[in-house]
Amino acid sequence: MARPILMPQVGQDLTEGKVTAIFVKQGDPVKKGDIVAEVESEKAVFEVEAFETGTILEIRYKVGDTAIVLEPLMMVGEEGEVLETAPAEKPAPATFSGEDAQTIVQAAKAPAAEPVAESQPANVTSFPAEAAREAETAFLKTGTTGGSSPLARRLAAAAGVDIATVKGTGPRGAVVKRDVEAFSRSGQSSGSQVLAFSGKTATGAAGSFIKTLQSGTGDPVLLIHGFGGELSAWRPFLAHLGIANPILAIDLPGHGAASATSASDFDALVASVRASLAAEKLDRVHLVGHSLGAAVATAIAGGGDLDIRSLTLIAPAGLGPKINGDYVAGFLGSSTEGALKVWLDQLVHDPAAMPGVLVRATLSGRDGTAMAANQGKLAAGVFSGNTQLFSVREALARFAGPARVIVGTEDRIVPPDQTVPASVALHRLPQVGHLPQLEAAALVGRLVAQTVRSAG
Amino acid sequence: MARELMYRDALREAIDEEMERNNTVFIIGEGIAERGGSYKVTEGLLAKYGPKRVRDTPIAEAGMIGVGVGAAIAGARPIVEILYIDFAMLGMDMIVNQAAKFRLMTGGEGRVPFIMRTQGGTGGGVAAQHSQSLEAMFYHVPGLKVVMPSTPSDAKGLLKYALRQDDPVMFLEHKHLYMTKGMVPDGEHIIEFGKGDIKRAGKDVTVIAWSNMVPRALEAAARLAEEGIDVEVIDPRTLVPLDKEMILTSVAKTNRCVIVQEAVRRGGVASDIASIIQEEAFYDLDAPIEIVAGLNIPIPFNLELEKASVPQVDDVVAAVRRSLHAKPLAQAAE
Repeated sequence: MARPILMPQVGQDLTEGKVTAIFVKQGDPVKKGDIVAEVESEKAVFEVEAFETGTILEIRYKVGDTAIVLEPLMMVGEEGEVLETAPAEKPAPATFSGEDAQTIVQAAKAPAAEPVAESQPANVTSFPAEAAREAETAFLKTGTTGGSSPLARRLAAAAGVDIATVKGTGPRGAVVKRDVEAFSRSGQSSGSQVLAFSGKTATGAAGSFIKTLQSGTGDPVLLIHGFGGELSAWRPFLAHLGIANPILAIDLPGHGAASATSASDFDALVASVRASLAAEKLDRVHLVGHSLGAAVATAIAGGGDLDIRSLTLIAPAGLGPKINGDYVAGFLGSSTEGALKVWLDQLVHDPAAMPGVLVRATLSGRDGTAMAANQGKLAAGVFSGNTQLFSVREALARFAGPARVIVGTEDRIVPPDQTVPASVALHRLPQVGHLPQLEAAALVGRLVAQTVRSAG
Repeated sequence: MARELMYRDALREAIDEEMERNNTVFIIGEGIAERGGSYKVTEGLLAKYGPKRVRDTPIAEAGMIGVGVGAAIAGARPIVEILYIDFAMLGMDMIVNQAAKFRLMTGGEGRVPFIMRTQGGTGGGVAAQHSQSLEAMFYHVPGLKVVMPSTPSDAKGLLKYALRQDDPVMFLEHKHLYMTKGMVPDGEHIIEFGKGDIKRAGKDVTVIAWSNMVPRALEAAARLAEEGIDVEVIDPRTLVPLDKEMILTSVAKTNRCVIVQEAVRRGGVASDIASIIQEEAFYDLDAPIEIVAGLNIPIPFNLELEKASVPQVDDVVAAVRRSLHAKPLAQAAE
């Protein structure tokens, strides 16, 4: 039975996107996970993955065509199978199964900081995959068929409350206004936070930008990217985080939506993140950091003033003096795809794991912004040649909550053989480089979830 | 200052004042001159204005309405009184195909300031052919204004406005309201079409009602107030044009809405208002819109059955409770 590979939903409000590359032709065999095409929205390039093994029976677009979101890009089936002549029915987004969801792939770079649509129902995210999963989870969790009133949905979305977690007292168990209000009240009184984020945090004062990637309940989890990264790079990783907590991510100064701001040294970087946390009233939060972001997380946790529930450090910087200075210089200095790819490949153990779109996305993100200059300023303030100018070893030793360090044994950016304080769990992942959250996403997702849960 | 007047007296004042002011206003109908009208609305007008302007007609509604529409096209301001709205059906061609269309089909040059005054609704067991609420028939036809006053003050103000504007107006009174009393402002009292009235302000549930359903909604609101439920009663007063703003504003405040109409449920104005609300205020709604309406049957002659066939105060109370999701009433009233 032939099945479609769909044009992914490449942005919250987008209805179509351009096909920029097709890597297969009719009759080609494909394996599950093969990249079959690239599509582009206004600001982002996405890879489209085959969701199952089979043969390409039909390709419905050519490069340069505009494809309608959620319409089939191509059909996959058995070798020699003859397609029905009628075009495949347009699958309704509401009936998306988990399998369909897998056709939606890895955003290497989503549009910079699209504002959170406050009036949208809470379950709507950029990815149908996530929406479908959330809806299913919601249904299983509530165990009612009562639904919710339109007003309750609007209020829940505005308050960042996942309506699936609210107990309904309306007709047939429907969630109504009073339930959302009661939920918000009880959430605050029990100390677990129900948060509403504007998604428009001023980058002016704080210098950083916090965005909600997934609404939920309990203490929020804040993801902090590393040098040269940005918050939307976490999106593919979200699927591997099996937790119900709200998940937020930050763009550090000089990165992503905060590319116009800069931090001159490590202390300024930490201060900027602290200011953003204060602006969003986030004084009780789990921190997950990668590389330089992990060092920032550790510095904040070691401060002892905020209630940091747990700490997960992925390929952390700041635990030893060494850094691959050539990488930093090469990354910043590359202005062509070919050059940049050489350096980005250093991030991973197996270059095949590096999404091709990341190269172009990184370059296009620098276009017309002060990003490169501001990242250069930051690099000069935190690194000197092959030396890290800061250390968070003592801060990590001081942190009393659950803490975990995850490193790849093949890391070429930060030395993988650094030691950690005895109170901290250390996971050394073989055949993994500097991006464990990409190269071993499932395991890292599980470890983060365990850390978060262990904080109670 | 204001005086207490009966609904029928307020209507008479409006006609009297406008006939005095404008000598193109005249009124025709069955028994309206010598007898002063079956509901005494036109009492005394014959003596004051004479048989040219206050004229009895034979029992011939099609002819009466045709005369009215023609006179309006010719420049007069006729009021045609039809004894029961049920009988207006005889004049539907003149109303629907002529009066409602003339302005458009003459490119706006021709106007039809034709007023049909009539009354509908149940009351007193006058059976299936004398008890209908047929506002939806006229509501459906573009080009007609539909006015349904519930109080003496509204009756006077709206009828005076009707006699000063230039489009055909279906002025629908209610047989149960003629003897009700209310305060009417002294002096020139005119109420523009398309402006609803909040008959009772409240914050928990919006109840939309018109004509004789307004007093019932108010009685229901008074009863619910004893339980701590704060009902807002809105009277659109004119169904065409409809005061959408007032309705949407109220629903945005209360998040719940009950619409009460005496007419049968099927194809009614309540359904159309519900459709407007769900379309324009969907995310303000915390409960399904409730419609309390007449049963889809001809009105029975038997008084008890007649009562059972149209909304009563208890029905409105029950609908308000449903829209509050029934049980924790105290909480809902917070």
